[in-house]
Amino acid sequence: MRFTRASSAGPAPAGQGAPELAELLTASARGDEQAFARLYDQTSARVYGMVLRVVRDPAQAAEVTQDVYLQVWREAARFDANLGTVLSWLLMIAHRRAVDRVRSARSATLRDDRYAATQSDRPYDQVAERAHANLEAQRVHNALQDLTESQREAISLAYFAGYTHREVAVLLDLPLGTAKTRIRDGLIRLRDALGVADE
Amino acid sequence: MNDHELSTLVGAYALDALDEPERTLFEAHLADCTECTAEVVSLRAAAAELSHTTTISAPAAVRSELLSTISRVRPLPPPRAGAVTALNQRLPRRRLWPAIAAACALIAIATTGWAVQEHRQLTGHRVSPTALSSVFDSADLATATVSLGGSAHATLIYSKAKQRVVLIGQHIPAPPAGKTYQIWMLGPNGSAISGGVFRPDPDGTVLVQASGDLQHTAQMGISVEQAGGASRPTPGAIVADIAI
Repeated sequence: MRFTRASSAGPAPAGQGAPELAELLTASARGDEQAFARLYDQTSARVYGMVLRVVRDPAQAAEVTQDVYLQVWREAARFDANLGTVLSWLLMIAHRRAVDRVRSARSATLRDDRYAATQSDRPYDQVAERAHANLEAQRVHNALQDLTESQREAISLAYFAGYTHREVAVLLDLPLGTAKTRIRDGLIRLRDALGVADE
Repeated sequence: MNDHELSTLVGAYALDALDEPERTLFEAHLADCTECTAEVVSLRAAAAELSHTTTISAPAAVRSELLSTISRVRPLPPPRAGAVTALNQRLPRRRLWPAIAAACALIAIATTGWAVQEHRQLTGHRVSPTALSSVFDSADLATATVSLGGSAHATLIYSKAKQRVVLIGQHIPAPPAGKTYQIWMLGPNGSAISGGVFRPDPDGTVLVQASGDLQHTAQMGISVEQAGGASRPTPGAIVADIAI
């Protein structure tokens, strides 16, 4: 699989410490448990924090995080640098698992979900209290301010609350086609503001 | 859903915000669309940045349990040279798209009674995306996915109202010599009705369809049986069951 976008040609370096993570992952693929432990130490706060935000329950977040890293250990040799950074791969696996967890557990009605969503419609403010007040977080907060409110809400409900775009449309009273457009446009704007693709 | 409509799902896909049937369709599309693939990669990178805002140290127990677990688990070997590396382990191979399309053609023409078609018989078929989406528009269309260990996955796409089910498998290992896979409709009271036998393609792809009374089916099961199949699942031979 090849990129067609010029800006993405070749393995995307992106992100501080990325080459280091790639080396640790390569060593992990060969069964180096120490390298894997270092990989875990450098990335687990990002993974666990995001998973916790999605599943909300610390016990479940711990379980999902373990599953994620177990999968990473087993599949380390399958990582493809052409498809993003190690961290992006890790977070993709983690997010998918976290979302699968909340969707399979979701027995509440949409009405209840709507209540939950109202309670969490300002996730960035909430999490900022708990999160390390670091520069990277501030940079992301700033970039999010460039999005329209509706884009921000749609992305937040999808990423941090694990809703499908159809559910997001219902929660935000948008026509179906609109939610997926808000999500896509918002992500593109976020990507460009953060310079993710060209780092 | 045509290619243009599919490409509008790219943002929702990058945030895991597609439901299961859409995800299956979109991943099939991704396998053939380098532009969408590049966009998914870049949007996923942007989404990954969001986790800077939620950083929290994991409990120490997670680390210690994990490290004690991995010492007993062998990492998988690298993928075969020349294999298309998936965006994730569920991404279907390039050829799965016509396979799904062919499956949908079969769904559309399936008659009553249980019948399983082998993938080999299907690959020559092609149907238009329009015919495809008309099948996927079934009001009660649902999917379920089960892992069969490693990267092996089986996904069921089914409609209870239309009494039809398609099984799509990826990276499914060949059954042992003299054995075959068999698919079952398992009732809540222990009943088991055979849906037929099947073999994966040499590359591990499985595509079979069956039809029957799904209203009284609690689970679909896959077992490994003697070649030719069994009249009931052999105890202990069920390798996967999927609640539907």
